[in-house]
Amino acid sequence: MIEVKNLTKKYGRRRVLENVSFTAEKGQITCLIGINGVGKTTTLKAIMGLTPYKSGTILIDDEPLTKTSYEKITFIPDAAIMPPSMTIRDAFEFMKDFYGSWNSARAEELLAFFKLKEEFRIAELSKGNIAKINLLMGLAIDVDYLLMDEPFSGIDIFSREQIADVFTSHLIEDRGVIITTHEINDIEHLIDKVILLDNGSVLKEFYTEEMRSEHGKSVIDVMREVYRA
Amino acid sequence: MNRFIKLLNFEINRFSKIYAALLAIIIVLQFIGVIVESNSYVQGADRMMMENRWTQEELIKNNGKAGFTLIMDSFWFAGPIAIAAAALIFYIFLIWYREWYGKNTFIYRLLMLPVSRYSIYFAKASAIFLMVLGLVGIQILLLPLENELFEAIVPADFRDVLAVKDLIHSNIITSTLIPATFTQFVLHYLAGLMAVFTLFTAILMERSYRLKGILLGIVYCAAVLAFFISPLIIPAVLDMGDFFYPVEFLVLEIILGLIASACSIVIGQKLLNKKVSV
Repeated sequence: MIEVKNLTKKYGRRRVLENVSFTAEKGQITCLIGINGVGKTTTLKAIMGLTPYKSGTILIDDEPLTKTSYEKITFIPDAAIMPPSMTIRDAFEFMKDFYGSWNSARAEELLAFFKLKEEFRIAELSKGNIAKINLLMGLAIDVDYLLMDEPFSGIDIFSREQIADVFTSHLIEDRGVIITTHEINDIEHLIDKVILLDNGSVLKEFYTEEMRSEHGKSVIDVMREVYRA
Repeated sequence: MNRFIKLLNFEINRFSKIYAALLAIIIVLQFIGVIVESNSYVQGADRMMMENRWTQEELIKNNGKAGFTLIMDSFWFAGPIAIAAAALIFYIFLIWYREWYGKNTFIYRLLMLPVSRYSIYFAKASAIFLMVLGLVGIQILLLPLENELFEAIVPADFRDVLAVKDLIHSNIITSTLIPATFTQFVLHYLAGLMAVFTLFTAILMERSYRLKGILLGIVYCAAVLAFFISPLIIPAVLDMGDFFYPVEFLVLEIILGLIASACSIVIGQKLLNKKVSV
């Protein structure tokens, strides 16, 4: 389980996150939702040790983040993160060199699924293909937790469908996923838990199934209710 | 293979094309320089003998003999070394900034590797150090070859013969790169390493505190420089003359260099682990 307790972060004098607390469990998809600039990406980066924070505690399976944590948790930003001069094959070799848990068979399987070729150069990939390669590399490390920042942002409908298909496949089922997205329609049916953020604070936290069965509301209904208020 | 070695290998590979180009520039320009300067000397000598109706002995008596130092003092020799040095200094910045800027943000992957961030830091520093040593090594190999070419162009009667070792010590650039004694070597390269670590720390200060970090980095670099050269400055300011014996000065500089390097490494690590932001 990923536990975020009282996470507070400031950029200069501006408070970006204020006592943000939530948990994300293995086998569940947790969605961080909020309008631009509410601190979704910053929260993910703080969990991954990619940005410092003022106070709070972040635990991954009851342990603070260390270098070995990167074998079981990974972050998939919405930008290319391998050098542009590399081919996909080079990127795979690089990952294999550094991650003991790199699963070559899974990488090959996903490459075929996404209809990409090893000889493609990272610099030449479209935004959609960058998102696929990022997802592929995250899943091929065999991590327990995947943190995904806007995986559907700026990509075509077919790429979105392919990525959404991965969420319903065996590749995701036992993993804990924290995702930020504006394209809630694409994955609403896949989400288990929602954290609504506003002005750097958690406004509301709920399980989608409970919300549907007990209150008859979709995630979008709750968003409208909360943000319009 | 050890992950540090893999990172180092990765860093060297990323710079290999530019590095190969730098080596090519040094080799080509220096050899062109030997040919151009040697021929120019021979033609000049012929012209002077013709115009002044001098004999060979009279020319040598009036102008002296030509040595390979003639080449070493020319732009053709110093220019490529200056270009390579400038490229490597630029690369000290590029080796970090390219991870954040440009089309792809590789720093995400780099910081998420299951390796100590010390390894990332030292792989970058070691890559630069090895590249410097590589360039120096190439220069050591080139000197005797260039000297041979010079001797093939300039007739024996017109030239001074100097051993490669003496040639190295006759020129300020080569004697700095290839010092005469082991202690000088330690001092020069320790100062070089200290400079790399200091600049790395300044860069990481900027990456951690952005605008404030630039100021912090400049102040830090100035403080390290003042600290390192304090055994020179303090006796001069206090009018103490040559206060330290050369051996004392050397030991003091080594100690100060090690302290400054250790401080830069510790601060750099702290920043890389706790403060840098992607």
